[in-house]
Amino acid sequence: MKLLRIALRNLRREWRLPELRTLAGSLLLAVLALGVVATLATRVERGILASAAELIGGDIGVSAPQAVPAAFADQARRDGLALSHDAGFPSVAFAHDRSQLLDVQATDGAYPLRGKLVLADAQGRQRNGHGPAAGTAYLDHRALVSLSLKVGDTLQLGGKELRIAAELVQQPDGGALVALAPRALMSLADAEQAGLLGVGSRARYRLLLAGAPEAVQRWRSWAQQQTLPQGVELLTPEQTQERMRTAFDRAGAFLHLTALLAALLAGVAIALSAQRYARRKTPEVALLRALGTPRRRVLGLLLLTLAALALPVALAGALLALGAAQLAWQFASTLFGGVPTVLPLLPALIAAAMGVAVLAGFALPPLLRLAEVAPVAVFRESLARKPRRFDGLYLLPALVALALIWSQSGSLKLAGILAASLAGVALVAALLATLLLWLARRVAPGAHPALRLGLAALARRRGLSVVQATALSLGLAALLLLSVVAPALLDGWRRELPVDTPNWFALNLQDDQQPAFAQALARIGADQLNMMPLAVGKLTAINGQPIDSRHFADPRAKEWADRQLRLSWADALPPANRVIDGRWFDAHPAQAEVSVDRMWRDMFALKLGDTMSFDVGEGRVAATVTSFRQVDWTSFRVNFFLLLDPAHADALPHTWLASFHLPRGHARAMAQLSRDYPNLSLVDVDDLLDRIRQIVDRVGGAVRWILGFSLLAGALVLAASLAASAAERRHEAALLRTLGARRAQLRVAAACEFALLGLIAGLTAAFGAAVAGLWLGRTVFHIEGFLPPSWPLALGALGCAFVVMLLGLAGTRKVTRTSPMRLLREG
Amino acid sequence: MSDTPHQVLEAHDVSKSVDGPEGRLQILDRVGLRVAAGESFAIVGASGSGKTTLLGLLAGLDTPSSGTIRLAGHALDTLGEEARADLRRRLVGFVFQSFHLLPALSAEENVMLPLELEGDAQARAKAREALDAVGLAARRRHYPAQLSGGEQQRVAIARAFVHGPRLLFADEPTGNLDQRTGHHIADLLFALNRDHRTTLVLVTHDAQLAARCQRRIELEEGRVATGLGA
Repeated sequence: MKLLRIALRNLRREWRLPELRTLAGSLLLAVLALGVVATLATRVERGILASAAELIGGDIGVSAPQAVPAAFADQARRDGLALSHDAGFPSVAFAHDRSQLLDVQATDGAYPLRGKLVLADAQGRQRNGHGPAAGTAYLDHRALVSLSLKVGDTLQLGGKELRIAAELVQQPDGGALVALAPRALMSLADAEQAGLLGVGSRARYRLLLAGAPEAVQRWRSWAQQQTLPQGVELLTPEQTQERMRTAFDRAGAFLHLTALLAALLAGVAIALSAQRYARRKTPEVALLRALGTPRRRVLGLLLLTLAALALPVALAGALLALGAAQLAWQFASTLFGGVPTVLPLLPALIAAAMGVAVLAGFALPPLLRLAEVAPVAVFRESLARKPRRFDGLYLLPALVALALIWSQSGSLKLAGILAASLAGVALVAALLATLLLWLARRVAPGAHPALRLGLAALARRRGLSVVQATALSLGLAALLLLSVVAPALLDGWRRELPVDTPNWFALNLQDDQQPAFAQALARIGADQLNMMPLAVGKLTAINGQPIDSRHFADPRAKEWADRQLRLSWADALPPANRVIDGRWFDAHPAQAEVSVDRMWRDMFALKLGDTMSFDVGEGRVAATVTSFRQVDWTSFRVNFFLLLDPAHADALPHTWLASFHLPRGHARAMAQLSRDYPNLSLVDVDDLLDRIRQIVDRVGGAVRWILGFSLLAGALVLAASLAASAAERRHEAALLRTLGARRAQLRVAAACEFALLGLIAGLTAAFGAAVAGLWLGRTVFHIEGFLPPSWPLALGALGCAFVVMLLGLAGTRKVTRTSPMRLLREG
Repeated sequence: MSDTPHQVLEAHDVSKSVDGPEGRLQILDRVGLRVAAGESFAIVGASGSGKTTLLGLLAGLDTPSSGTIRLAGHALDTLGEEARADLRRRLVGFVFQSFHLLPALSAEENVMLPLELEGDAQARAKAREALDAVGLAARRRHYPAQLSGGEQQRVAIARAFVHGPRLLFADEPTGNLDQRTGHHIADLLFALNRDHRTTLVLVTHDAQLAARCQRRIELEEGRVATGLGA
């Protein structure tokens, strides 16, 4: 306790020292940057999950090929969750003399537990509702048109007469691209009574659950420990909204990157300040040691002082981060449909802990060495400590930086690239600085007197100059990476979703409808029309061996073995596809050929030359695998796992899948189109595209905000490095003034010194940012053909030199005004 | 006042006062003195008597509140700070009690400093000669922390003499040294004073050192108490 009191007293007295203030400012900034991003990221993650829950109609669920085992529902009841059962199956409906295959969903009255079921009455008035009552059904527009029915009519489904109680406008889990048939909702009890769910039916059963997050989590943990029977799987929000997730993962990586670099910069500033603090404390520690204070006590005092500074500052940083994140959420929450989520406290606290770790990692090495100051240093400072050839303690900042990079990037690849790039920048900067300083010494004697003084000043503080150049390079590399490369990366990403990205899909288009449909689209102003044939079939054999799902080890393969597949064909390799093995189809191959997606290759352990047999309606085709493809599934294009060669596939029974771009405000024209082509499924993905564009835009905004933290951190690095040499500079300026140096000489010397320092840092940083940006763009953010912009980087480097020179001059303004009398007063 | 060819330094009625927390503080009160070229001159007095302030004024490091100072014929009170800096660079050398060597520079580089300020292309060669003259040729690559107190002061003396100043100001040059080393340093200063005909103005409270000077004044509470001053 006594030691703590002394430490607190020390801190109160030393608070005026610039290095302690820089230390505190850097820590505050690190916690703030990390805290804001972590809090927002957690909240956005919850927002995504909450909106995804709306898409599956519950917080979590189970899907099974037979009735879901009762244990799952029993456990859910024990956990206090709300339950809803449903089953989906294809069934033919009859009305008057017409029949139509429907995609039927039989639900109980509780459906949906999350999200909205939008219904319309005979007059088209819309309302939200729940699963249909016994004896009634809801049909979507396509089903009503194809059966010539309207709300209030009856139809026969599974031998039961059902009254159409409403038109199905929107359901939480509807609207998927795979919905090939018109949809109908009926009561689960009716479906059971009608025998639609008996043994041998092709139904897929679901149990959906909803409740408080803790209860859902409890049930989830329980369910994950169960051995799931074959075909039974958990339905989690994470599986849905893959594209939103991909978009946010990319976005999150940007933000984490920005915060991480701000924190690392703050770390550099902390290291410089701690070094300076340690140097200032050396005589005091030597005196304490000489007066008999044990080393352990000195160390304890130093650590307690540091802790007394760090803890309140880190907590203040966490509180500020929470406030800033709450503000930022006001702008971000609309992306997730305004789903309410609470402000999470944990990420900000973790950020505070990380900030303290950064402080410890970067500040401890000089402070721990300070405790080793020999008592004899009271007589001569040069005897303060034994020189070491290699000090392992100085690996600590590198280790902390690595841990931080790893924890923030969330990906080993990103962490590796960042760590390697930053280490590369540091190494090159140190080498370049050493080389240029060596050259400066050689050049100095013949140079202009002021320039010579500047060069001499740099060369004089060789060690500090190298540290300053390296720190500045790291800071500037981070800033250039963020300010030049990140916007370019975001732009590249935005370019992947140009304004004319196909936003509508039409399924089920028949051969004979194709020309008229294309003309109709052209009339209403649609463009970017792309049509691909679509055949629905089944994989029957591989290399002549009939497919049996029990023979496959991969659960995905088991699933696909029983499912209907979508096949297509094309004579040219579609965009967003890349052949990674084998060759693309020749014009007229002798035998049928198939090109297979990489995931399918791995699932079924396929090799080039294998034969795959498919049944497609009445048709049958055996195709040789001639290529494997890497498909970018995040692109907004129609992609297929299996592509056949057109020469042999054209004869297979097929429909067409059209994708096109229709400018906004053409809903009325589309409604007419859907009436003219009632067999078509028209799917609008504008909403999803909008959300992703919004994410890109908002991330752009957020990156700029958080970039502000990095700029501040960069300024702190410069301030810390100036503060580190301020006393020495003042003494030197006073001496030079005494020896007759003019102020202008001192100013030009300082300008030369800082411009050269800035140039070393700027060039290294621009080079490092370009390499890291190229690496990140290509391998982490997958932006094809990304090239870091060279002119802005070069200008950035020169600008850095200029700004460092100006800041350096501003920082040394006082120094050049130092009175020469100072030396006489100092003795 | 006309130039007196033999007087390299003259002070007339020099006063210096500063504003302190307890009102105006008179540090120097109408001090006058004359120092001839090549002379050795001591300013002695107790701590706080104003010796160092007077030295600073005489060397043009600061300006008096009233009175005039002429250094090598130049009236310091009519010169701005930059012009005084020029004068110092050309005509003056300094030796301090705490040596004031730059720790990151080797002995040779420290000695080169005044020449570098002049833009002298022969700086290195001249610095070596100066170090040789103070007996430290072998230690020219050493850094201040690797030198003893006496050696550091010898480097400082080499720096003070290297550009051939007409006046050398020394502030307690032996104050931080033991008696024997202090004696050697004083020998060196007086030898250089003699050999180079450099005027030596030194501040000290060491009576023995002051006694070795040709003339001396004693300050007491900012006034000249005794001695051969003006």
